[in-house]
Amino acid sequence: MEPSGAGRKERPKPREPAARLEKAKQKSAQQELKQRQRAEIYALNRVMTELEQQQFDSFCKQMQASGE
Amino acid sequence: PFFVNRGGLPVDEPTWERMWRHVGRIHPEGERVAQRIRGAADLPKIPIPSVPAFQPSTPIPERLEAVQRYIRELQYNHTGTQFFEIKKSRPLTGLMDLAKEMTKEALPIKCLEAVILGIYLTNNMTTLDRFPISFKTHFSGNYFRHIVLGVNFGGRYGALGISRREELMYKAPVFRTLSELIFDFEEAYRRCWHTLKKVKLGHCVSHDPHSVEQIEWKHSILDLDKLTREDFRKELERHARDMRLKIGKGAGPPSPTKDRKKDVSSPQRGQASPHRRNSRGDRRPSGEKKPADSKAMPDLNGYQIRV
Repeated sequence: MEPSGAGRKERPKPREPAARLEKAKQKSAQQELKQRQRAEIYALNRVMTELEQQQFDSFCKQMQASGE
Repeated sequence: PFFVNRGGLPVDEPTWERMWRHVGRIHPEGERVAQRIRGAADLPKIPIPSVPAFQPSTPIPERLEAVQRYIRELQYNHTGTQFFEIKKSRPLTGLMDLAKEMTKEALPIKCLEAVILGIYLTNNMTTLDRFPISFKTHFSGNYFRHIVLGVNFGGRYGALGISRREELMYKAPVFRTLSELIFDFEEAYRRCWHTLKKVKLGHCVSHDPHSVEQIEWKHSILDLDKLTREDFRKELERHARDMRLKIGKGAGPPSPTKDRKKDVSSPQRGQASPHRRNSRGDRRPSGEKKPADSKAMPDLNGYQIRV
């Protein structure tokens, strides 16, 4: 005879392994995308920082040349 | 234009494409910038900076230097797209969650993000007071806004933050008065041809990262066009006194004031981020008058010295 189930909570059905795997794959893909984006953002930021610096330096030179 | 990523990370496709389109428009090399970077196999790997950790015996000034080094290592965000959305009206606890995300994702940031991060990284320094300092300046027909995190340690004032300009961010806590600190910023602005117009000083921020209080961004609003030099200094010291007495909303009466100048020309800003600036050529619909240029600036294809 099965032991009495009185008072025993029924365990939730375990997730399907396929669904769990899919979720892990999605998470991994998202993480890869973030890493890729981060690399591109910093590469872009380097270019834009250089541009800003060049423009600022040129402007300062012009200001100095015009005697402020 | 000024773009904000409102969809979290990774950046969604529309926001991502908008970022690259913007870059293509503003960089002299146009779309070649994107072509060189997007999909490139050999991009440098950028390590994620370690959040500074301290021994209990590490002096506060040293900790502040380490915090500032960390902020600097993230880099100022020149891409034209802000990656973290900051709603200034959020409870502190929400902003601290966002700060934690910033440390995990480790992306370039702008001044408002640096303030939130600065608060997060100094919460465990209970002898350090932190308060936001906002600046509004004028340059070549446009207004610009910037914000840093003021700090007060043992009666000495300093600041944490990030800016395009080195002199408009970190200040070691060596200034004997709040006025001296603000005047230092004013002089730094003057050196890059910006005229300081308004200063907004917030109240001290709670050290409790789970606090549901909102940051008070504008406890004092000082309009330099409406104040004499001496009154400006007095108002700054009044604010400093308020902070020392920890006087704020619901905590007691403010310092008695006869002539506290409240800014009436600028309506209360909406709470959404970012801390906006005028881009070149844009005009604000706020009714703020543009003063006549006292001196014509050389035109470098409309280059604006942003801070």
